[in-house]
Amino acid sequence: MLPKINAAFVEKVLVRFIRDELGRCGCDTAILGLSGGLDSAVCAALAARALGPRNVLGLIMPYGKAFPQDVRDAGEAARRLGIRRETIDIAPQIDAFFAAHPTTDRVRRGNKMARERMSVLYDRSAGEGGLVLGTSNKTELLIGYGTIYGDMACAVNPVGDLYKTQVRQLAAHLRVPAAIRAKAPTAGLWPGQTDEGEIGLSYEKLDEILYGLVEGRMNRKALVAAGHQPAAVDRVLRKVRGSEFKRHLPPIAKLSPRSVGHDFLYPYDWSK
Amino acid sequence: MNIALAQIATRLGDVEANVGLHLDVLEKARKKKAGLVVFPELGLTGYTLKDLVEDVALDPANDPRFRRIVAATKGLSAVVGFVEESPAEKGLFYNAAAFIHDGRVVHVHRKVFLPTNGMFEEAKFFAQGREFRTFTAPWGRVGLLICRDFLHYGASYVHYASGADMIVCISAAPGRGVEGGDAFATSRMWELMGEAMSVFSTAFVVYANRAGLEDGVTFGGGSFVFAPGGRLVARAAYLDPEVVVCPVDLSDVREARRKLLLKRDEKPEAIWRSLERIVRAAED
Repeated sequence: MLPKINAAFVEKVLVRFIRDELGRCGCDTAILGLSGGLDSAVCAALAARALGPRNVLGLIMPYGKAFPQDVRDAGEAARRLGIRRETIDIAPQIDAFFAAHPTTDRVRRGNKMARERMSVLYDRSAGEGGLVLGTSNKTELLIGYGTIYGDMACAVNPVGDLYKTQVRQLAAHLRVPAAIRAKAPTAGLWPGQTDEGEIGLSYEKLDEILYGLVEGRMNRKALVAAGHQPAAVDRVLRKVRGSEFKRHLPPIAKLSPRSVGHDFLYPYDWSK
Repeated sequence: MNIALAQIATRLGDVEANVGLHLDVLEKARKKKAGLVVFPELGLTGYTLKDLVEDVALDPANDPRFRRIVAATKGLSAVVGFVEESPAEKGLFYNAAAFIHDGRVVHVHRKVFLPTNGMFEEAKFFAQGREFRTFTAPWGRVGLLICRDFLHYGASYVHYASGADMIVCISAAPGRGVEGGDAFATSRMWELMGEAMSVFSTAFVVYANRAGLEDGVTFGGGSFVFAPGGRLVARAAYLDPEVVVCPVDLSDVREARRKLLLKRDEKPEAIWRSLERIVRAAED
């Protein structure tokens, strides 16, 4: 079992993190995509506490009429927090693209939509003078369950060191609407998709294996000895290894004595 | 005497701004009649420096910015963390702590144990200090440590064996572990070790940590003073900047050593002989 987090303390730390990172950039506005799911609702709640609700802009970016319940839930979460919200239908640009370059591959279509939402968020952040908040949790980051340069792209990410089951604890503490907390997590790439269905494991099981692997520094043998199904352990290990590229900037071919990405090393917060 | 724990949130890479912050805190602490003001590790520079190390390094004997701080210690003592580059060792950068008293640098400690694993990469950017040495302040004997030095308990032992009345540790300790109470798990680890060391050493243990964030890392705050024997004198807020001024009675060292005779019965020569044997065996 993952130990329970102290949600009140975590809130304190993350509120300071958001305030600090935006403050360094001279921004007072945070922008994020609201999917109607748990992670973005938690991030919106943290940002509202850190910056004041009027300094948070939640963009709801449905593809046409898809996922109407999620759109309603996202709107309701924003309304309850008192943050600014706006709905932008991404169907015109997605349809225009796939009319010219058709595909039936739903993963490609879903990834294209995730990157379109990223593109809208970054454009709006420039217009607002704000920063894009990332909403990928630790579970997703570790197994690579996200679209690279899509939903994984952001300026700062407050929840990336919390496993999904810990985000749920934080959500309860932050009084995220019950409808959002109760529903099955989904990447929303196509109707009927659920994270747990696609990953083939419940988040509880997945988080326990990841927690053993990451925090416990356990290898395959130790994870199996701890009672996890060998097939489940293998699947998780494969996903973690196979997605390492999503957790790095791409390698740069080294030629000079001092190269970006190798030995030109400065803090992220340099001169901010 | 009053001790001020200057738990500041440093500005990363901005020596000018941090000198200003130090001068402000020194002024406030003076008004509250502090005799010793302890600033955190790398308080003049920020912690996550990487290649910025050489840009923020300074020579405490000649740097005009450092001299402003030294000049501001008239009638009191201060411990200041900075990156040292001395004329004698050009191109070598030390994670250093200066003990300053009444307008004079009394002692500079260079961090010996540079954590370089996981999130830490100090030995990539800093040269390694080579010794622990106590020195005499007007009010007692003092040993300085910097953050990770304190977690290697031999370092505190050396200060204890050489007669320290007070072990001062300056720190930039990142908070980790959010399963417990109202602080990071690492904050509790530091308190536990500070308390224990004040019992082992029958000396004061003063720990000044940072507040604020750098690159997503939160410095946990929670600076503290333990009196000899494990009595908590003061503790600063977790997470947030705070300057806590607390009174200490330096005669507590004598009181503690009269009652718990560890210092009287200490045998550094037995420890030394044993260590010598161990080190020789390792070399063979």
